[in-house]
Amino acid sequence: MSGQLDDGPGVELLRTMWRIRAFEERVGQLARANEVHGLVHLSSGSEGVAAGVCGQLRADDVVYSNHRAHGHAIAKGAPLAGVMAELMGRDGGLCRGMGGSMHLVDVAHGFLGATGVVGGNVPLALGSALAGRLAGGDQVAVVFFGDGAVQGGIFVESVNLATLWELPVILVCENNGFAEFTPRSAHTNVERVSDVVAPYGLERETVDGNDVGAVRETFARFLAAARAGGGPALLECLTHRLRGHYEGDPQLYREALAAEEWQQLDPILRFQRRGLEEGWLDADAPARLEQEAADEVEEAVRVARESPFPPAGLTAELVYAP
Amino acid sequence: MAHELPYIAAIGEAISEEMERDESVLYFGQNIATHEEDPFLKQFGPDRVRVTPISETAEIGMAVGVSIAGFRPVVELYMAEFMLVAMDQVVNEANRFHYMSGGQVKVPLVMKAGYGFTAGWAGQHTGTIYGMFMGVPGLKVVVPSTAADAKGLMTTAIRDDNPVAYFHHYLLTLEHGEVPDGEYAVPFGRANVARKGGDVTIVGIGWTVPRALAAAEQLAADGVDAEVIDPRTLNPLDVDTILESVAKTGRLVVVDQSTRHGSAAAVIAAEAADAGFGSLKAPVKLVTALEATVPYSEPMEQYLMPDDPKIVNAVQQVLGNAPVAA
Amino acid sequence: MAGNGLDKERLTWILTQMTRIREFEERVKGTFEESPGVIRGHTHLADGAEASIVGALATLRPDDMLLTTYRCHGYPVALGTDTKSLMAEIYGRTGGICKGYGGSMHLTDVSRGFMGTSGIVGQGIPHATGAAYAAQIRNKGQVVLSFFGDGASKQGAFHESLNIASLWKLPVVYILENNNYNVVTRVEQEDANAAAGEPLATKAKAFSMPGVTVDGGDPLAVYDAVSEAVDRARSGEGPTLVESLVYRLSAHGNIIAPPGVPLHFPEHEAVTVFGNKEEYEAALRGDPVPRFRAKLVTDGTLTAEEADAIAAAAKEEMQDAVEFGLASPYPAGEDAVKYVYA
Repeated sequence: MSGQLDDGPGVELLRTMWRIRAFEERVGQLARANEVHGLVHLSSGSEGVAAGVCGQLRADDVVYSNHRAHGHAIAKGAPLAGVMAELMGRDGGLCRGMGGSMHLVDVAHGFLGATGVVGGNVPLALGSALAGRLAGGDQVAVVFFGDGAVQGGIFVESVNLATLWELPVILVCENNGFAEFTPRSAHTNVERVSDVVAPYGLERETVDGNDVGAVRETFARFLAAARAGGGPALLECLTHRLRGHYEGDPQLYREALAAEEWQQLDPILRFQRRGLEEGWLDADAPARLEQEAADEVEEAVRVARESPFPPAGLTAELVYAP
Repeated sequence: MAHELPYIAAIGEAISEEMERDESVLYFGQNIATHEEDPFLKQFGPDRVRVTPISETAEIGMAVGVSIAGFRPVVELYMAEFMLVAMDQVVNEANRFHYMSGGQVKVPLVMKAGYGFTAGWAGQHTGTIYGMFMGVPGLKVVVPSTAADAKGLMTTAIRDDNPVAYFHHYLLTLEHGEVPDGEYAVPFGRANVARKGGDVTIVGIGWTVPRALAAAEQLAADGVDAEVIDPRTLNPLDVDTILESVAKTGRLVVVDQSTRHGSAAAVIAAEAADAGFGSLKAPVKLVTALEATVPYSEPMEQYLMPDDPKIVNAVQQVLGNAPVAA
Repeated sequence: MAGNGLDKERLTWILTQMTRIREFEERVKGTFEESPGVIRGHTHLADGAEASIVGALATLRPDDMLLTTYRCHGYPVALGTDTKSLMAEIYGRTGGICKGYGGSMHLTDVSRGFMGTSGIVGQGIPHATGAAYAAQIRNKGQVVLSFFGDGASKQGAFHESLNIASLWKLPVVYILENNNYNVVTRVEQEDANAAAGEPLATKAKAFSMPGVTVDGGDPLAVYDAVSEAVDRARSGEGPTLVESLVYRLSAHGNIIAPPGVPLHFPEHEAVTVFGNKEEYEAALRGDPVPRFRAKLVTDGTLTAEEADAIAAAAKEEMQDAVEFGLASPYPAGEDAVKYVYA
């Protein structure tokens, strides 16, 4: 890897990844304590993808995500307190408590949302890309989805149309080898997602999703091409889902990674090692960044806890736009 | 003799027993049989028990095809909302083939899907949408509220030669109940009178059946004797039992977790207003969810839903003890 | 040489079925002029696709199965379903194969493995995949043919089904009859592969499945390609995608109009929408039925008289079919509530 990253952007990436890591861990605790209720899906382990991709986007670029969306929302700029309050069902939440974990939306930061139905977000991204193109600007749309979504009809219908209409949409697949509780081999005999879309001829590449530098570089290329009027691209990031499909998943279907193995794969630890080697990270930075993130998250928890629950009548107000 | 089982296990028992009894019964869907120790896989093998990718259109469409070719598939869909992804296959294919072929083919499939999980599963995973599948010619709709019915209705669903949408309520998942030993089939179109009474008829569906029973206990303390009816299947719908009850009580409250115009309650009310008009001493009251996507935040989620006080209040309205709400 | 191993009897059979299908479809089309109002709704003809249909069906055994699209008349004709019952069905009569319940788009003949027809683009593909799952469990070497058009290959149902069939190695052959048109849309307007000048068979790569493209106007080329795929399927090696290039000689279907407007077949969309008379006329010149007849007569397989006799027999058969259809009674109105449930 070339050392294009000086201490600025490198540290920024680490900050984002630590922020996500700390947030997800805290949410896991809060879920077990029932302060966050309902269904949550944590993105611990794939912080490199969210940070590497979203860090390069503008506020007017649009990001869609799936049910495992906290990291993407945070990386796109959603305030931690707003996300936390949403998970706690408070009025101060991004969606005033209406959506919850799987339905986070932050229009101000271009995060048009998480969705609970696998693959449902992909055509939406096409719509946003089309709107951007029609408006004459160079905004792009990015959609995050997992390897499980690729076998769904809605996915390939979208790939065909995006390619045909040369839409500036970048499809980012977090391939963690599992779709809910089954490994990829139970879903298809085509191992690489990039091979599934190969027949459509769009730009595509598979990278190590836990190497945030690699994610960043490849995405930068796709981003530049899309802004210059190019069509869609697919970035397949091979990554790891540290937690279960949802919080509470007993994960009988796979073996846990040994701690030493994860040390080697962990996107944060890897990037820190690189920073130390390349000299743009001080020796005490890792511990400091980790602590800063924990503090930020704790502050978010505090603010969220103070936020009131929304008024019951809010539901009636929001069913239809006025 | 009977044995006690949680609701969800009663359903599994029915599937397992039918698969044992009839080699043509299959069981497939996402996240099924993903490891060798899975009991279904061990007992019935990888031909009859398979995991599918996230591909609802293909899952349900294949169920149609494998049915036409002589098998009896149970498709595990997990949530009613996921049927929406494949709506054409559910209401425009599976239910029509027997008819359009002039009776040449049968489509004996079962779609097993959960619903109503008002426990923070948010807008896309919590709906009560069986109303979308009523009035669909050729498609039967089943909504058990007890472990015994969960078993008995699944048995019947598998044996039925028509496509069946089998909706199990997620809030009832761990509710224990006595399930009769041995082969147990509950016929479709036969409502259950869960509580006998003479002052008012309360019809509940799925999870609102225990809610209606709880409200009935409260009402009994106030000297009101409620009859609670559980239709058990929405298609075929046992209108006769409901009308018989209304003929006795003259007052009808229907409790349904769906939104008002998408509810089975509206259909039942229409039947009562039509054939039971002469018996009615008060308007039919519907207690349904308020019209909104189910919100995530708990107080709002609860606010939308029918609950015991709302049921009691509706009963008081039809008894003339409370002002009738518009 | 294409069609190696096919003897005179088989070759004669192929020409006969192609001729019968053509005559049947001509008579369906003719009904709009001869007996207006008899055919209601929407009907879709297979003229131009005979070589593809028959070449594929020639590979089947009696216990195999197939499902097709709403452009379904040709297949049961070739399978041997009584054409009287087919015409009566299209005319909505009790003598119809589905007793008038289905009509043109929903022909079914389970006795011959023709398992049922969906009118919704692409939705028969999962049905066929399910039938192949049944065949796999039964393990008697049955194969399923799944026919659909180029339009269907954009449907999610196509993608989902081919993925599962490949993963489970189901005994199915997917036959994509690419006639370049999806109603009034040309395939390049809606398909990324076609827009890039690639064959649609390319899509097979997404499923780790073999994909081949074949001249659907040559029944022997189709026979060869489908035979190979059928052998693969029968031996448990899984599915194949066969793209068969055809040209339909009629418009997508008769016009869609509210009651009161007489229905008829408009001209082909190539002409009416794209102004491409040359393309259409070239297709007429390459009409597969007279082409195959000429081939068999030229190479001595058949004499001209034998070929004429086949055509004459077809004419007579389809005349009988029309007469039977017109004479077959309509069902009683109250029959509508039968067959809702098994």
